[in-house]
Parts: sequence; structure tokens; C-alpha cells
Amino acid sequence: MLETLGLEYHYQHGKKIVFPEIEVKRGQRLLISGFSGCGKTTLLSLIAGALKLQAGDIKFDGINYSSMSSLLLDKFRADHIGYIFQTLNLIPFLSVSENIALGIRFSQSRKSKVNDLNQEITRLVKSLGLGKEVLTTPVNRLSVGQQQRVAVARALLGKPDLILADEPTSALDAETTKKFLNEVMDAFDSTKQAIIMVSHDASITHYFDTVIDLNKQHA
Amino acid sequence: MLSLLLKSMRSRIIPTSLVTISLMASMVLLLSIERIQQGTEEGFNQSISGVDAIIGPRSSSLELVLYTVFHLGRPTNNITTKTVNDIKQRSDISWLVPIALGDSHRGFRVVATQSNYFEHIKYGNNQSLIFLNGVAFSELSEAVLGSDVAERLNYNVGSEIQITHGSVESIGSKHDDFSFKVTGILKKTGTPIDQAIFLDLKGYELLHLGWMSGKKVFSLDDIDLSSLPAGALDPKTVTAAFVGLKSKITLFKFTKSIREYSKEAISAVIPGIALSELWSIVGLVDKGFQLLSWIIIAISLIAMVTLIIASLDNRKQEMTIYRANGASPKFLAIMVICESLVIGLVAIIGAIILVTIVTYFATNQLNLALGISPSFKWISLEEIKVFGLILFAGVLSSLVPAVMVFRKNLHQTLS
Repeated sequence: MLETLGLEYHYQHGKKIVFPEIEVKRGQRLLISGFSGCGKTTLLSLIAGALKLQAGDIKFDGINYSSMSSLLLDKFRADHIGYIFQTLNLIPFLSVSENIALGIRFSQSRKSKVNDLNQEITRLVKSLGLGKEVLTTPVNRLSVGQQQRVAVARALLGKPDLILADEPTSALDAETTKKFLNEVMDAFDSTKQAIIMVSHDASITHYFDTVIDLNKQHA
Repeated sequence: MLSLLLKSMRSRIIPTSLVTISLMASMVLLLSIERIQQGTEEGFNQSISGVDAIIGPRSSSLELVLYTVFHLGRPTNNITTKTVNDIKQRSDISWLVPIALGDSHRGFRVVATQSNYFEHIKYGNNQSLIFLNGVAFSELSEAVLGSDVAERLNYNVGSEIQITHGSVESIGSKHDDFSFKVTGILKKTGTPIDQAIFLDLKGYELLHLGWMSGKKVFSLDDIDLSSLPAGALDPKTVTAAFVGLKSKITLFKFTKSIREYSKEAISAVIPGIALSELWSIVGLVDKGFQLLSWIIIAISLIAMVTLIIASLDNRKQEMTIYRANGASPKFLAIMVICESLVIGLVAIIGAIILVTIVTYFATNQLNLALGISPSFKWISLEEIKVFGLILFAGVLSSLVPAVMVFRKNLHQTLS
């Protein structure tokens, strides 16, 4: 489904990173590990189409990123990618439901995959181990673990092909991380969706089919 | 997008509403100044109609109009009845109404005139004076009241009033030896006529029989009115005379020949021209105020843009989440522009409501202070253009933060 071809990135301060070739198939769970500053987030941003390609290309279902304008890439991201941040995933002035609904706000194709929005949101929230009462709780009263689950629900809404997660567990303790990942892996559709997660946490590698260590690549 | 935007703005309600209020207040200022000026002008211009010229002592033409028509200020000099009678004989004159000013009754000015005043003096759009109650005076002891006088002092036809010498009531200044009986009350005109008391010139002359240099020398009680010789009550001088010409074409020739009248220093003033002199003076001050209001509006718009730019930093998270979920930079830029549009529209709606209220009270104040009551107006096309211009300027200035948002790299915010 997704493959990278000779990706390189030159930072403004002079550092240059050559990324390994990555191939992700539908249903595949890929972990990109490595220490801070090794380019994990940059790689994720490149795959998300948020960062302009400098060298190399990314191919998604046969379409090259380099052939798309930034406007098309935005649309592409809306249609195919669900993104989860490290922290601060939610907009404080929107309700939990509204935050989740943002996942399909900008994509017609993802909208068309959801018949009954409220029902689907409730289903996702439940499958991620959250109670229904969370939907009416103000965002700033949720725990970090709950917030991350809401972010996952948003990323999964409308069944995008690819979930990108940038250290979603870094703010969680070991116990919560375990529970969180169990639920996330259960909730995502292992037949159609792929997940690429970035993390420096070595204890979670067993949740993934493939692990790429960026540090080792450079060594 | 609108619901997202409104919720986002609601989360920043205090700074947003403060900026909206400042923008609204500056628009209220601009429009109020404009409206009060227009209202005053309209009110003044409607206060005299049908009078082609005012003849008075040679002085500033504006001064003459202000005290004869608007009862503002006081006459500096009089003209002799002999001169007035001379002018009356002219063949180009259709009618002439002399007036004498100076006395008052409980703060309301007294206009001593002849009963043909009510026939010839018009107001507004050439509307004649109408008696609400009663008729014009026919005896020297009778009086006619303007509608405000009757209403505020609660007088009716048949009421008796006494006149005060001069415009301020003080001990010994009252003409308490003679009373006038009200024979008629005029219908409201929205002009200074409403705040005037009309007497017969002869009655007015009678009041002053016993007076010399502003002091009462003897009382009327000591005089047998029937023993007065004929013509004793014909006034020697009057303050001014309103004139109607047979043909307006002769107006300038008429005023010129009055200026050249050799027996007395008099002049003829065309009310409209004198008033336009007034507006050119007032207009200058008004322009200054207008300029000031525009500057305040500009400052408010700058404050709005500053607020939007300042809020962008706090909204980094919000913007990033939109972008990560596929919103284009265009979406965010439009959102920023719409924010200024919402602020502008709310400020405009608020301003319309406030201006309407301000106009209402200002109209009352104008009526109390100047006796004029300009017609109450809703929003005019001219004002809608002003609002449009301000809205446009607001949107234009919000392009600055919009471009900032548009150019922001998503990656800068993702990491």
C-alpha cells in the first residue's frame, strides 16, 4: 500500500538524514523506534504529506506524493490518513463527540463510510474502553489516557487506510500504555488498515509486525 | 466552518467581545456625529419657510436669522417702524410681518407681532401654521401659544399669563400690571415656533408704556387705557420684519436695494443663505469630528487584527489539529478572514441598534435645546455604504493574519 523510495531530508541547520526504504501493507503494524532527534517525526510528517519532499518519493496505492500539489496532499491526508499526536490531541472548546467528528470533517470519502455518526462515535469510544459518559465530559477534564483514546477514535473514524501515531504513549505510564495499546490494536481493522507508530519505548515492540530502528540504520 | 469558528471565538470571548465593542463604539461615534449634524441641519432648514427675506438692523446676517427665527441670542438693535412702513409700500412686496422680541414668559420667548404672522409664516415644506385650539389674537390683550408652551405649562385657551421683561425672571422685572388671555394654541411644528408666545405688537407696546431703559417708571394700573390718544400704542421700533415678495426673481434686487436704503442702516437677509453660512462653519468642526471618528475606527480595526494575530499563537494546537485532519491552509485562512467578518458584522448590528437609541435621545435633546425636531430616521443607504466600507477594511486588514496562517508549514506545528 505504501512505500518510500530513497527518502532523504536536509534540515536547515545542516543535518541530513537518509531514511531506510519502508514498505507497509494493508493490515500491517509498523513501529519506528529510535532516540530523539533521529528523524522519527520528520519521517511521519513526510508520510502524512505535511512536509515537502526534498529527495526521494513516497508511493501510496500507486500514486506518487511528488505528483500531488500541497492542496491535493491535504485532501489525500483527509481521505486516507488518521493522525494521532504525542499530546494535546483535542480542541478544548469542542465536545468529545465534536473532536472525534473532526476526523471526517474534511473528507467526503470518509464521511460516506459513516452511516450514523453518533452511533459510530459511540461504538468507537466503547471499543477503546471508554464509557459513554466521556462523550459529554469537557475535554479538559479527561485524563491523558482518555484524551489519547479519544484521539484514536478520531483517527479511526471513517476507516482511513493508514493510521499515523507520533509517540502516542509517551505521556502514559507503563500500565496505561499496555492497556491503551491492547485496545487500539483491537479497535483497528487489521484486514484493511495499516498503522505506523513512532516510539522510543522498547517495551511495546511485541505489538507490531515490523520494527524499524532508525538509530541502527545510521549506525 | 461557521460553527467551528463561532465555538473557537466563544473560547476567546473576552478579548473578542472587547474588540467588537471598541469597533462598535467607534462606529456609533461616527454615525451619531453624522446624524446629529444632519438632524440639526434638517431641523434648522425646516424651521423657516415661505419667508423670502428678513429685514433687520445692519449686522451679521447669521446673527439676525438666529435670533429672529431660532430665538438664539438677543437682538443688538432695532429698526424703526417708519422704515418698516416705508418698505411695506414697495411694489415688489407681497406681505410684511414685523416682530418685536425681548420679553419672555417662564423661560419661553415672547414674539410680538401682527395676526397676519399666522397666515404668512410657514415651516417645514411650506406648511402653514394650524391652530390646534382657538384662533389668532385679535385684541391687544390676547395671546397665542406654541404647542410646547401650552403643553409644558399646562395652559389652555382662556388661561391668563403675565409677561416678564427680558429673558430672565427676576424681582421687579415682571409686567404684573397687565395679563394676556390665551385665545389660541398652535399645532406642533417641530420648530422654535412651538416654544414661543405670540402677542399683538400693540399689547407689547402697551406693556412697555411705563418703562424706560429697562426699568418700570409707572404702573399701567394708574392709566386709563381708554384715555390713550390714537396711535399711542403703535410701536416706534420693532426687532425685525419677515417679508414675502411677489416674485422670487426680484429677491436679489430687493436685498440690494434694502442695503442701499439711505434713511436707516438696515439689511435684508435671505434665510437659506444665512443658514448655509452657518453650516459651512459647523461643517468644519463636524469634518474634524468625522476625521477623528475614522481614526478611531482605524485604531479599532488595528486592534482587531492585533488580537487575531496574537490569538494565532494560542490557537496553534487548534490549527494543527485541523491541518492534521486534512484541512487545507486555505480553510484556515478563510476561517481567520471570517473571524474578522463576524466581529465586523456583530459590531455593525450593535452599532445600528445603539445609533438608533442615540438618535432617539439626541432628537429629544435637540428639541429641548433648539426647539427643532428632525424626523426620526432608520438606517440610510449612505450609512449602509459606510458599514460596507468598514467591513471591507476589516476583511482587508485580516488578510495579514490570514496570509500568516496560510504560509505556516504544517510540519512546523506537527513536531
